[in-house]
Amino acid sequence: MRGLGQDKPNHDPNAFVGATEQGIGVYTHATDRFKTISLHAVWITPLAEDTASVTALVPSLLRRGARRWPDWRSMEMRLEELYGAAFRAAVEKVGDQQLVSCHLEMPDGRFLPGHPDTLAAGIEFLNHVMSEPHLVEGTFPPEAVAQEQETMTRRIQGIINDKAQYATLRLMQVMAEGRPFGLSRYGRVEDVATVTPLAVTERYWEVSRQAPLLFFGVGALDGEALERAVRATWQPRPAGVGMPPMAPVPGLHQRNLVVDEQEVNQGKLNLGYTTGARLPDADYPALMMYAGILGGFSHSKLFVNVREKASLAYYAYARVDGVLGLMHIGAGIEFKDFSEAMRITEQQVADMAAGRITEQEMDFTRRGYVTSLKTTEDSPGSLIGLQMQRLLMGGGLLPADLIPALERVTVEDIRRVAEGVSLDTVYFLTAKGEGHDVRLPVS
Amino acid sequence: MPRPGQRRTYATFATYYGSIDSHFRVPTTGADLEVPDGIAHFLEHKMFAKPEGDVMDQFAALGASTNAYTEYLTTSYLFSTTDRVAECLTILMDLVQRPHFTEENVQKEQGIIEQELRMYLDMPGDRVHSNLMRALYQKHPVRLDIGGSVASIRTITPDVLYRCYETFYHPSNMLLFVVGDLDPQQVIDQIAEAQWDKGLTESQAEIVRYLPDEPDPVAEAWVEQVMPVSLPLVSIGYKDPVSRLEGQDLLTREVVSDVMWGVLLGKASPLWSRLYEEGLINDRFGAHYTAATTYAYSSMGGETPHPERLAEVLAEELARVAITAEDVERQKKSQWGGFATLFNSPGDLAYQYNAWHFRGVDLFQFSDALASVSHKDVEARRDEHLQPVHRAISVIRPESS
Repeated sequence: MRGLGQDKPNHDPNAFVGATEQGIGVYTHATDRFKTISLHAVWITPLAEDTASVTALVPSLLRRGARRWPDWRSMEMRLEELYGAAFRAAVEKVGDQQLVSCHLEMPDGRFLPGHPDTLAAGIEFLNHVMSEPHLVEGTFPPEAVAQEQETMTRRIQGIINDKAQYATLRLMQVMAEGRPFGLSRYGRVEDVATVTPLAVTERYWEVSRQAPLLFFGVGALDGEALERAVRATWQPRPAGVGMPPMAPVPGLHQRNLVVDEQEVNQGKLNLGYTTGARLPDADYPALMMYAGILGGFSHSKLFVNVREKASLAYYAYARVDGVLGLMHIGAGIEFKDFSEAMRITEQQVADMAAGRITEQEMDFTRRGYVTSLKTTEDSPGSLIGLQMQRLLMGGGLLPADLIPALERVTVEDIRRVAEGVSLDTVYFLTAKGEGHDVRLPVS
Repeated sequence: MPRPGQRRTYATFATYYGSIDSHFRVPTTGADLEVPDGIAHFLEHKMFAKPEGDVMDQFAALGASTNAYTEYLTTSYLFSTTDRVAECLTILMDLVQRPHFTEENVQKEQGIIEQELRMYLDMPGDRVHSNLMRALYQKHPVRLDIGGSVASIRTITPDVLYRCYETFYHPSNMLLFVVGDLDPQQVIDQIAEAQWDKGLTESQAEIVRYLPDEPDPVAEAWVEQVMPVSLPLVSIGYKDPVSRLEGQDLLTREVVSDVMWGVLLGKASPLWSRLYEEGLINDRFGAHYTAATTYAYSSMGGETPHPERLAEVLAEELARVAITAEDVERQKKSQWGGFATLFNSPGDLAYQYNAWHFRGVDLFQFSDALASVSHKDVEARRDEHLQPVHRAISVIRPESS
């Protein structure tokens, strides 16, 4: 079975053409709207405590050298020759999956002096770097492994430097209580330290030969050429390998409070909720409306009440993780304002549950989403992100279907969704000596 | 700028007025005025307030999003939308051209901006830059934080906001930039008519801005601050003494300096590899040049376990490493790609267009400027720019070390 042209014709301008066969998917979105060509390849592997760190080191080492460009410098020189192509090899986390991704964005040769064929060179570069890493006596070079271990350790320790990000990660850790989605995508410092050159090389072979692999291309490109190049380079995955199932995440707590103290100037208030709805669910558009009205925009309840009316914060938002089905509320506040900010925040959540939603809130939120969904097609990164998310979740609507679905959502739908929204954990990062009196208001 | 096929229309309305303009002559009265630090940013926040409510709601009703930002030199207001562009443009002009400041709304904003400033105080990357600017400059107001301080914003009143507004928000000091799938003449006609209706087509008297004379040497060669971070953070700056730098001269100096940094310290440079392999930098380390009419500097930095060692190696090697003609040519190619990529992102494109416009540069001069960079220019730039007396270093250290 050929991969191309198997999808039913879809006129959504966000749609990709392609299919997954034997664990390898190639999806292209051919358009001449962009000045660039974007290629994105990703291996998908379950996030687990014992493999998170060794897996996280794989992209760092792929970045360090390939057979033809054996060190950092020769690889970078090659990228400069490709007109400053940007290459990124990274580890990411989506739900409870760990993604090893390689991304190449290069200017389209049509817009460069002499009109060079950057596409062919780009496909060749990406395939080569992913399939033929620079090995010395069969393993990644020990010095490179040691350096990347050091860099990874610092990266994990450095999470504390960004207080908002740190507080979010702590909230997830507390909510997860040992479940994989609470792990950092880099794993743990103590596990990074025990990785050996042999272990990370073996992990590379395991991932590169067995993990489901997805390739995406966006720009003025020939999908069949990309498909041919990918299938010529990569062996089919072992029988039975497919997209991992993503399970819903049940809440383990009710109104749990965790307070940390640090030398900070501003308190970070973070609330984590379970929602019961995820991307492929019929109720997901209603959950989007719920979160949007509560805290997705500058007309939303949290922004208006916490910031504009009470002047308690510069930012206050609500966001949904559609993969895990969790909602996160965040605000930066004075240490002493914890109770007041909690009271106002919970009042907004209660108003949502009671259906106290104005026609204007419904209208503005719908329109805000519609604009942002329509502009997905302006950005290669957003297009690829959306397509990948749908493949990972085995569903979810494209903008052409999501927009009418949002337009159909009623206040009653939102009220129904609100019944499934439950406060799991409150995490507060405050200044040293400020944490002892922090108490949750009674709900 | 027409971009056929693009769904988003993105517009900025920017004034050539930023945080450094704290001492000036008010054109309407001829009186000199010194204003509190952070007032340009405060004004930006307060422009959204109207007697009938927040302008954000008018954009939201059209499904458009809006925002604004203040920098050392400029303040920009923007919207992003997929349709009803003409209505959005009307709202944008109204947002910027109808101030409404009251005792009450000014006081309310002080609480919000105080939280914004406190958020920055907890960001090590922001602190290390802020401290570097204070170390590089002795008198120039670019040494002060764009948002001012919690103390300075408390002294802001509606009256002084109006004085700043009257001085700097006249159309002759502003630029509207719109990028999308649109007909430029139609946009121009709409704006011209609206400005005519508002009686804003006359030029105002020239704005006189007072800046202190900045001595060439840096204020302090080494500054430090302790914060709860995991590793030290360092930012190294080279001040580039300039007087009235603008137009072609500014562009040439900027492009040559960027090529120089790409060659000396880009990821394909031997020096970068060496620093990375010694564990002195991480993969986000890079150097870049910033040029404005009254100040210019280079800065570089990131996390490092050994700020002293990093500074020492850089001081030695930057002056010494070879610059080859091939390096320069390869770097020019890379810069070309960066310029082409700019056109993918309306936000980045508008930002760059505005930044150059207020420095007397047209975006499309870039390709000629880049093409004309020679190996000799790059070597000469290094000799001129990288002088020890112009260098300052800012370090953030972890609490315990």
